Amino acid sequence: MRRALIAAAAAALLAPAAALADVQQVLLPGPTPFPTPSPPLQTVGAPPWANLTFKIHASSDQRVRAGVDASGRVVSVRALQRLHLTGTGDYLIVVSAPVLDVRPGPGSESEPGQRRGQILWSGFASKHRLLAADASLRAAAASPYLPLRLEARRDGDRYVLTLTNVTRTSQVAFQGTGKPAELAALLDRTRRDSLAHRRLRPAYVTIEGLIAKRTQKTSVAAPLRVEGKLRFPAAVKEAINTERPEGRMVRFAFVLGDERPLTQRIEVTGGGGDPRLRLEARPDSVVRGLTPPGGAPTWVAAAARQRLDPDALLTRLIDTRMELVRADQFQSFLGNPDQLGSDRTVYVYATSAAAARATAGSSGGSGGNGPLMALLAVGGTLLAAGAALVAWAHS
Amino acid sequence: MRRLAFLLAGLALLGAGCGGKSSSGTTGHLVIAVDVPVTGSPYAAQTIRQGVELAASNLNGGGGLRIGDKSYLLDVKLYDNHLSARTAVQDTRRAIDAGAVAIVTDGTGVDATWQLARRDGVSICITQDGGTGLVDPEQRPNVFRIAPTNHGIAFRYAEYLIPKKLKVGLLSDDSAYGREGAADVAHAFSQNPEAVALKLTLPAGQTDLTPQVLRARRSGATALLVWGQPPTIASVLSAARSIGWQVPVYTPPTGSDPFIRQQLADHPEWVDGLTFAGGRLTAEVGTGPFTNFQSQYETSYGADEVGVKTSQGQSVVQPPELAMYSYDFIHVLVAAATHAASVEAGKVTDALNEVTTQGANGDERGFNEHSHEGVVDDDVYFARFHDMTYTPVTDDPLSATLPLIPQTRSQ
Repeated sequence: MRRALIAAAAAALLAPAAALADVQQVLLPGPTPFPTPSPPLQTVGAPPWANLTFKIHASSDQRVRAGVDASGRVVSVRALQRLHLTGTGDYLIVVSAPVLDVRPGPGSESEPGQRRGQILWSGFASKHRLLAADASLRAAAASPYLPLRLEARRDGDRYVLTLTNVTRTSQVAFQGTGKPAELAALLDRTRRDSLAHRRLRPAYVTIEGLIAKRTQKTSVAAPLRVEGKLRFPAAVKEAINTERPEGRMVRFAFVLGDERPLTQRIEVTGGGGDPRLRLEARPDSVVRGLTPPGGAPTWVAAAARQRLDPDALLTRLIDTRMELVRADQFQSFLGNPDQLGSDRTVYVYATSAAAARATAGSSGGSGGNGPLMALLAVGGTLLAAGAALVAWAHS
Repeated sequence: MRRLAFLLAGLALLGAGCGGKSSSGTTGHLVIAVDVPVTGSPYAAQTIRQGVELAASNLNGGGGLRIGDKSYLLDVKLYDNHLSARTAVQDTRRAIDAGAVAIVTDGTGVDATWQLARRDGVSICITQDGGTGLVDPEQRPNVFRIAPTNHGIAFRYAEYLIPKKLKVGLLSDDSAYGREGAADVAHAFSQNPEAVALKLTLPAGQTDLTPQVLRARRSGATALLVWGQPPTIASVLSAARSIGWQVPVYTPPTGSDPFIRQQLADHPEWVDGLTFAGGRLTAEVGTGPFTNFQSQYETSYGADEVGVKTSQGQSVVQPPELAMYSYDFIHVLVAAATHAASVEAGKVTDALNEVTTQGANGDERGFNEHSHEGVVDDDVYFARFHDMTYTPVTDDPLSATLPLIPQTRSQ
């Protein structure tokens, strides 16, 4: 609904402009709006009634920990949000979240309050203040907004883990005729922001003639950098799409998105059972999509060397900026009360304690039953031998 | 037949009039009990009661609390706990029998009354006593507080005084208030023993504390933090100044009690420099909201005269701080009933965790599942007396941002 509204608004804005002007300045995507309402997480409860005053600014760094079971299903979600306030004055902050429980995180200089669907902070900041909330979230409500989906299965001696970047969404985009030199300069600027992990700054592009909506919606995904490891009960024989196995350990690292597949499949042979998983995924910069062609140091240099198709440049500029907006959206799993504040989120997926116990139980079970079975077998044999002896004696 | 109809109508009306929380008509009554030490601490009792009555009067003037198609008028019932826990228990029973949905108290006897109230889902709101342990959302889910906490005050004092490199004499009287405060102060200063010159317990009610003050002076104290009842603070000031010791004296909110200025009215210079901690009276929006509240309060009940004058001959009045807390609680309570769409005590108490209203000082007031404190520790500020009135200090980040509240009235 929201995307439809954005599209309608864009069309309404563009149509009269196109009719009136031969050359026009059109706003490029970024830094906002985000293509979907969440993240940051929203709750159905009363909307936040307060934000920060202009005197206080906040940056947010978060560590979202998703506990997964042996099949890769998310069974728990916990978020550690650290809000760094700067400035002097009162603050009243409401962070929407499907919160089950919240406690102060390490180093917090205040205690968070909790209401249905809300984490609350209230107090007075004198220059600096750290507000850290360690919140357990309802997994069913929070997990649809995690950026990565895991699917694990074991088939005999083979273990397969599939990781999928699920940040993909479709967006309406425009097309038109831009000026190659300006487009190249805008691509360079976007690239610099991307490589510096900076939020995009608003930018306009000059379009000559009519602007049209692209015939097909654009598919956009946030690039995700994934690094992790699998620890198996026994030595691994072979692993595909990973680093070289180190005994029971298999490490892997790749980017999902940014002109690379959104899904990666890790296959491991051996290992003697289900592994314990731990991986970190973080929204990443767009690198490949913004690399200038032909080994040129910049897009401007590339445009000077050869003729670049302006339509392709505009498409690339819009698409990569949309990807960066999407990546920025996933930097804020829980909301930051300061719209202009910086956000960083690391998503940690780890085998949950319950799943680990079950795994240990099942793998240990087969091993653990061995001695018991042996004892029973020995006992049974002795009993049978005794009975046979008695029978022989009485025969 | 017609007479029977009149009789039935009359009975129905009587039923409506006798209703506690509700009635069969379109207007019901919501009973709020105020249990305060009318005879033990008359100033606090009066201002707490008046805060509740002012809120009830305002709400009733607007048609009362509307839930569904029914309106409820707020009835305030006053009980005198005589500063006695035993009496507070009796008062609580009577209030529950009267159908009270909430009890507003100074804090007397809450350790004994909260369970009684909880059985009927009745909430208790403390508006004066900052004692640690009185409020615990997990153990005492029906107890709330709108008043600065001892814990918050003690830690704010540690944060304020320790950087000054003072050697602080921690004095407390042997009243329950003094003992509880002493424990919080000791905890707050425990990480910085070098900042403490001595810890001393004073006999509450003793008018001459000269020996104890002399002992504090001999210990090398360069400041005194006196946690006690107003008479104790007055006696410490009197003893210190009469021996010519101009030591800075710091106190909890009791330092602003009119009693101290009344006691020392003959030596107004002895009060000069007395610093107390309290809950801020104004929010970042400025003095407007509190001044409006104060004006309403004084129109209804008159100003709370301290009974002393400034050197310019102006009459000194006490800003209605405690009244503000009890007034705010009634507004939060009504917001909770509206949120719960019910006047059932248990539902209203549960809903108190879910609502926020704007307080009389313009700040937000509300509780949540983890905190039943309506005044956060950060809202504790410091003010210093000069010429019988006080001004926020300028050497504390929060206090320095606060404006002066007028405390004088022309004759």
